[in-house]
Amino acid sequence: MDGKETIISVKNLKINIALDEGTLTAVRGVSFSIDKGETLGLVGESGCGKSLTCKAILGINDKKCSTEGEIFFDTDAEGEVDLLKLPPKGEQIRDVRGKQISMIFQEPMVCFSPMYTIGNQINESTRLHITKDKKKAKAISLDMMKKVGIANAEKRYDQYPHEFSGGMLQRALIAMALVCKPKLLIADEPTTALDVTIQAQILELIKELQKDLQMSVLFVTHDLGTVAKMCDRVAVMYLGKIIETGSVEQIYHDPKHPYTKGLLGSVHKIGTKKQERLFSIEGTVPLAMNLPSGCSFYDRCKDRIEGVCNVKEPEVLAIESNHTVSCHAVSRTIKGGSSIE
Amino acid sequence: MSDYILQVKNLHKVFTSKKISVKAVTDVSFNIVQGETIGIVGESGCGKTTLGRCIVRGIPATSGSVLYTAEDGETYDFLNIDRNKLKELRKDIQMIFQDPYSSLDPRMSVLDIIKEPLEANFPDMSKDEMEYKAIEIAAKVGLNTSYLKRYPHAFSGGQRQRIGIARALVTHPRLIVCDEPVSALDVSIQAQVINLLKDLQKDMGLTYIFISHDLSVVEHISDRVGVMYLGKMVEFAETEALFSKPMHPYTEALLSSVPVADPTVKMDRIPLKGEIPNPANPPSGCYFHERCSYFLDKCKEVSPEYCEIRQGREVACHRAEELDLRGFSYDE
Amino acid sequence: MVLHKRKNKKNKDDEYYLASQWTLMGRKFKKHKLAMVSLWVLGILYFVALFGNFIAPSDLVAYNSKIMNAPPTKIHMYHEGKYIGPFVYGIDMERDPVTKRKVYSENMDEIYKIQWFTHGCEYKFLGLFKSDLHLFGVEEGGAILLMGADSMGRDLFSRMILGSQVSLTVPFAGTIISFVLGIIIGGISGYFGGVIDTAIQRIIEVLSSIPSIPLWMALSASIPPDIPVVRMYLYITIIVSFISWTGLARIVRGKFISLRKEDYVMAAKISGVSNFKIITKHLVPGFMSYLIVSLTLGIPGMIIGETSMSFLGLGIRSPATSWGVLLQEAQEITSIATYPWRLIPLFAVILTVLAFNFIGDGLRDAADPYK
Repeated sequence: MDGKETIISVKNLKINIALDEGTLTAVRGVSFSIDKGETLGLVGESGCGKSLTCKAILGINDKKCSTEGEIFFDTDAEGEVDLLKLPPKGEQIRDVRGKQISMIFQEPMVCFSPMYTIGNQINESTRLHITKDKKKAKAISLDMMKKVGIANAEKRYDQYPHEFSGGMLQRALIAMALVCKPKLLIADEPTTALDVTIQAQILELIKELQKDLQMSVLFVTHDLGTVAKMCDRVAVMYLGKIIETGSVEQIYHDPKHPYTKGLLGSVHKIGTKKQERLFSIEGTVPLAMNLPSGCSFYDRCKDRIEGVCNVKEPEVLAIESNHTVSCHAVSRTIKGGSSIE
Repeated sequence: MSDYILQVKNLHKVFTSKKISVKAVTDVSFNIVQGETIGIVGESGCGKTTLGRCIVRGIPATSGSVLYTAEDGETYDFLNIDRNKLKELRKDIQMIFQDPYSSLDPRMSVLDIIKEPLEANFPDMSKDEMEYKAIEIAAKVGLNTSYLKRYPHAFSGGQRQRIGIARALVTHPRLIVCDEPVSALDVSIQAQVINLLKDLQKDMGLTYIFISHDLSVVEHISDRVGVMYLGKMVEFAETEALFSKPMHPYTEALLSSVPVADPTVKMDRIPLKGEIPNPANPPSGCYFHERCSYFLDKCKEVSPEYCEIRQGREVACHRAEELDLRGFSYDE
Repeated sequence: MVLHKRKNKKNKDDEYYLASQWTLMGRKFKKHKLAMVSLWVLGILYFVALFGNFIAPSDLVAYNSKIMNAPPTKIHMYHEGKYIGPFVYGIDMERDPVTKRKVYSENMDEIYKIQWFTHGCEYKFLGLFKSDLHLFGVEEGGAILLMGADSMGRDLFSRMILGSQVSLTVPFAGTIISFVLGIIIGGISGYFGGVIDTAIQRIIEVLSSIPSIPLWMALSASIPPDIPVVRMYLYITIIVSFISWTGLARIVRGKFISLRKEDYVMAAKISGVSNFKIITKHLVPGFMSYLIVSLTLGIPGMIIGETSMSFLGLGIRSPATSWGVLLQEAQEITSIATYPWRLIPLFAVILTVLAFNFIGDGLRDAADPYK
């Protein structure tokens, strides 16, 4: 797309989980791409498959999950490679994982081993991917710790995780993830476990570092507030499908899909006039085990068209450049839209 | 007779273990009018949950009093009443919990869970009447009454929270402490539960103490809001006044950190220095001075008094009068 | 057809949602194959123990000096090519001229047919009904020794079966005692906390630091040797359970403390539910499944405890018997070298202990259906 370099493109990703009760299709054909330096927000409620999608990119899903589709990543060594076709324990994927794509998680507490110092654990990835030289590696790691705003980095380097606060640990985790200067950072709910003031600090930090290192970010969250602050483009997921994508302005100011509308309506904005009731989406997310035929949002949708929505799954419809939506009701009202595969 | 349904006075809670003592709640006082919603906000570890639990006598407070004005107009200190009176009043003050998973006993059917407070408080009530009341309240909170024989594992997070609400409401209490009741829920479900709480308040004349770290939820539901920092109440005011014109620097910083779900509203955060101090070893003077951008030498030594600066505005800050702090602008 | 399928599915869901904790646990347990097999094995063992006097062809006191240390007798069907049904030959004893050891051989001239439901020695079935009916036996004058005989010429098979009546039930009685002690003492410790808790914990520590064998020796020395078998049996039970309650009390205490912090306990407290009700309705059911698991896993220890006590000569003494007694009688090297059949009770012990362990494993996996 006009001169922009695509870092990663996920095409028709499907993930099945084998459970005792049967097979659960958790991700049902997800496609998206991220350009260089761009931040894509992946928004959805719990159980919509957003975390599984991230883990599939790194190939770190459970053995119970079987993954189909294509994930093209622009690797350093060989250009565009389908990550899913690489042998899961081979040299190539390990070079990508941690070095070119890295990930930060929701709970920094559980991401560090309590038995080793923070410095030791950050250094692990430095020594694995950058240099074997101990002194050089330590210098690089320390430099990164300073960059993420850990004051007194030399002293902190030798401390253990329990001596860090939650916010500091998240900074350390970011240092660990970014020490190899990855092209793509996957941030899976990086601030959900943190307090508001700390959350704001971490978000700013990620933004700064992104500019610095010119990396792309896949920002996964259920919090619409942080998405509005962080992302260039947004993809909204519901029950294993992306139901709407668009630029952050398009999604927040001109949402098309009834689910996106409902989601935005159910968040109260401070400073707006007090409304008596919040807008809310009826019902609960159905179990992915026995999905209804047709549109999976049908039961909860306000704009549903009987005989259409519960029969056929909606196709992806491009409304404007970059703004796509999968909804029968929208495609009826908008004539100019053209259906794309 | 008192104007207030509940008056919290100089409540203290100190947790002591072998070596250290942590002041979880220090000298907190506020009043609640019948039918209003008081929001309590603060970051993790600020003592808001402890405060809620002390008020309902879930854990014993170290000192202070909670004056409760019962329906008959009499005022009792809820923390120091004799057993018989407690038995009578306990049903008036109930609680809704944060975690819809750990707050329901997985070994009891939903009907039994909702019935439990009735069994404890109305030993003379017949089984049929209890069941009738439980079903009635379950229907009111939007549960499918044909599913009441099921066990909690059959329900989703939002429905479980409704079960928790039904249990709190079945004895027809007058005051409910809601401890982060929507934090564990998905966004679309949060809105449902908040609407439900509002409807029930109107219907049953409930008074809420709504504890949350989510400022936008608190702003939406509360009439008045208190901000807590390191166990102390630092500011207390009517919601719109507090959000539009905070008077404590901590409130200002907190408000400026809230990510608003609108990409055109740019975040202009007031940076906070450092991190929340260890509550076992709080700083001298004003607990907030180390992180405050407006602090004076005085703040390091003298702890500011928490006092009413203006009608309905209580702040604990030496410079509350002179500072002009920034909040949200309420237009329209 | 599609509709039918969906309906089925719905019923299945309903069943799951309406299932209580125990139903869910049972369902998960059934998926553990090894545990299910073990359950059958134990079922058979206990069945045999229950009908021991009926199944065993002889009783504890019968002995025959002509067949001391005789090997297991072979059961034949054909005599000189002619089918005459199951029978045994008579036993001839000679001395080896060099080693002077007794050597047994079959006397082809004597034929003793095996009879079903014969009348033999008298016993009291379950200690209540007098009877002399046995499952099988041989004609007068012969001897059937499925597992050989011991040094006094007693049928080892009968003794093993009758011994199982002790070896398989002492642990259960002992378990019940430690169960009660563990819940009460652990519960007090966990619920009250503070000084009481500290005191109880120290006592437990002291008790569990006493080496068990000297303790058993001391305790059994205090039991007069001439008391009847049944009382002896009771004392042993108490001795065995004396130590094992400590571990259980600790588990109970730990569970009590962790469950007390659950929000639903707080909710019950705020609703005005009394302490006693909280304990009986929320706390005890909450850890009951764990308790059962640890009990099941504790039974093998008890079986081995009883066996080792008897093996050391501290427990039951001949002619009363248990597996430990049988093993004690087989402990000299000569038995292992020349009369290997006398070690058969060992396999019974191993089988039982393994079965209990597997069941405990299965229960542990099933114990928390919500995780």
